[in-house]
Amino acid sequence: MEKMRMMLVDDEERFLETTKKLLARKGYDVFTAASGSEALDVLMKENVHVVILDVKMPGMDGLATLKAIKSRYPMVEVIMLTGHATVESAVDGLKSGATDYLMKPADIDDVIKKAEDAYARRQVLEEKIRVAQARMAMRTPMEILRDTKDK
Amino acid sequence: MKENRYATLKRLILAIMILVPVVPFILVLAIGYYYFTTSLESTTIASMKRIVGDHRQMIESFLRERKADLEFVVRSFSFEELADPQELYKVFTHLQEKSVAFVDLGIFNEEGIHVAYHGPYRLVGKDYSQEDWFKGVIRQSYYVSDIFLGYRRVPHFVIALAGEEEGKKWVIRATIDTHIFTDLVEKVRIGKTGEAYILSREGVFQTERRSGGNLMDRDPDGMVKLSPGDEIRTFVKEDSKGERYLYATSRLRDKEWMLVVRQEEADAFSALRSASYMIVLVSLIGGALIVAVAFYITGQIIRRMESIDTEKDRLGQQLVRATRLAELGQMAAGFAHEINNPLQIMKSEQALIDTIFSDMRTRGDLKDSEDLKEVEDSMAQIKLQIDRCAKITQAILKFGRQSEPVVKDVDLVSFIPEVTSMVSKKASVNGIALKERIAENTPIVHVDPSQLQQVLLNLYNNAIDAITERHGSQGGELTIGTGSDENGRVTISVKDNGIGISPENLKKVFTPFFTTKPVGQGTGLGLSVCYGIVDSMGGVMEVESERGAGTKFSIRLPAAA
Repeated sequence: MEKMRMMLVDDEERFLETTKKLLARKGYDVFTAASGSEALDVLMKENVHVVILDVKMPGMDGLATLKAIKSRYPMVEVIMLTGHATVESAVDGLKSGATDYLMKPADIDDVIKKAEDAYARRQVLEEKIRVAQARMAMRTPMEILRDTKDK
Repeated sequence: MKENRYATLKRLILAIMILVPVVPFILVLAIGYYYFTTSLESTTIASMKRIVGDHRQMIESFLRERKADLEFVVRSFSFEELADPQELYKVFTHLQEKSVAFVDLGIFNEEGIHVAYHGPYRLVGKDYSQEDWFKGVIRQSYYVSDIFLGYRRVPHFVIALAGEEEGKKWVIRATIDTHIFTDLVEKVRIGKTGEAYILSREGVFQTERRSGGNLMDRDPDGMVKLSPGDEIRTFVKEDSKGERYLYATSRLRDKEWMLVVRQEEADAFSALRSASYMIVLVSLIGGALIVAVAFYITGQIIRRMESIDTEKDRLGQQLVRATRLAELGQMAAGFAHEINNPLQIMKSEQALIDTIFSDMRTRGDLKDSEDLKEVEDSMAQIKLQIDRCAKITQAILKFGRQSEPVVKDVDLVSFIPEVTSMVSKKASVNGIALKERIAENTPIVHVDPSQLQQVLLNLYNNAIDAITERHGSQGGELTIGTGSDENGRVTISVKDNGIGISPENLKKVFTPFFTTKPVGQGTGLGLSVCYGIVDSMGGVMEVESERGAGTKFSIRLPAAA
């Protein structure tokens, strides 16, 4: 199975740095981004499976970043990290396509667990897509014929 | 200060409430009284004048008729004929048939010698030439005398007429019955004390006066003087006895006599007096009524104002407290939110250290030692304290959150037992008897049920803590009641028999971060959150407690419309 690739998005540099080290030690590939636009840049270059996204950031905030990610990379799983104890912002995130949410200060084990869950979900999804694509490829000559005729 | 303000206000309202109706009231009475008295006076005086006028005419016509009677005799008979007693008797009888007022009849020659007489006295042959009346009649050919005694020594008055025959004058004289004349004059009756009489030029009574005054006496008051014309005069004067009289006087046309009609002033104006009594009575009763009503209403107003002010003060204090709580909540929420970021970093750092330590241990880089143990213990403590901080900030955020409540109609009769059942396990473990006193007619409330649940659970948990602190694990009692108060508001009460709250702490129970629990066990936000929630529901939350006896939290919520 492919190794999970994570990205942390937060405006706190030290948080990014420490958490990256921590996760690396636990054996994960971790990218970091200090802002929403930076996160989108990283996604353009790298294949990231799970994004841990802070809700409150200067500039492009968490919710806007989430929407941008989901519209461009629908397969990327996003976990919202909220500093607010209320679930409202998290609920907004879930409605906009986030997989889950975490509340600050989050335990690193919780972060890993939720990320793994999300990744597993993604893999299930990918598996389904692969099966569907394989089915597409294994069409009968008649079907192919009919398809070409339709076009 | 405040009492003083009420007293001033009370005086002001009282003054206005009394003066505003009293001034027009008195004015109306005074104006009414003035016009009434003036018109009554003028009608009384006018009627008095009319009486005098009418009466004078009657007396005058009486005298004129008597004169005409005598004139007829003078023209119809000669002196010779009348000097014959037989003839005189016949004439007298005729005259008496016309008027019973004739008492006697006499004939006099030019020298004043009584030549013939018919009447009850013996007067023939007497010389009258020096009498006033004789001189008068010779001079004026007609004379009416004042009352006098004459030869007969009886008060009487006479009408005399002179005739002339062959250059010689003769005189016919008739005596008028004073009783009949007096009756005629006296006949006037006005009110109780009205009377009429005649005074001569010298102020001597020519008729009797009913209230005292005999014939030929001088009027002791002497206030009626002969007037030159026959106009009617009215005036009010006090007589010698101190009685005030309303006088109406007029002079007779043919004689120097004054007709006087008078009536005691009190009698004449008795209607006026009774009107005055009525007015005084009405003013007194009306005034007393106005004053009484003013006092009553002012009292009511002041009492009402006092209660409104008290209520206002109370509401103001509540508002200040609620506003302060809301501000504090917002500030705390912002603060907590910001604290969460550094906490997150600290947590990550701690986790990193933890991971590094375990990696080093796996590699054998780290030897077990006392110091290492201390460090690890210290690290564990840091983790514990970070978690504690996290708990606090989350509680603060809950307190300061501004989510839109989802309100719906909640029937407390079923809702309260549902919430209570959530703590029934915890209660039974601690030996607490749960008692529900849910009034069946408890009105429906319109609130966010999850918020209400939060409030109730908070109160239950506090109560259970207070009970276990006092009773340990048995003997506790927690009573939950609902109902409605006299203002139609819904009441919920949570009463325990726990340790209670001391009076100084009781003042602070709703203040954020106030707690009596051991460090790390309470955030001191629970009750202030509850307070804020109940306040946002439009309700109030109150607490009463006695140290060592128990605590009762009461919530009043508006009933759903």
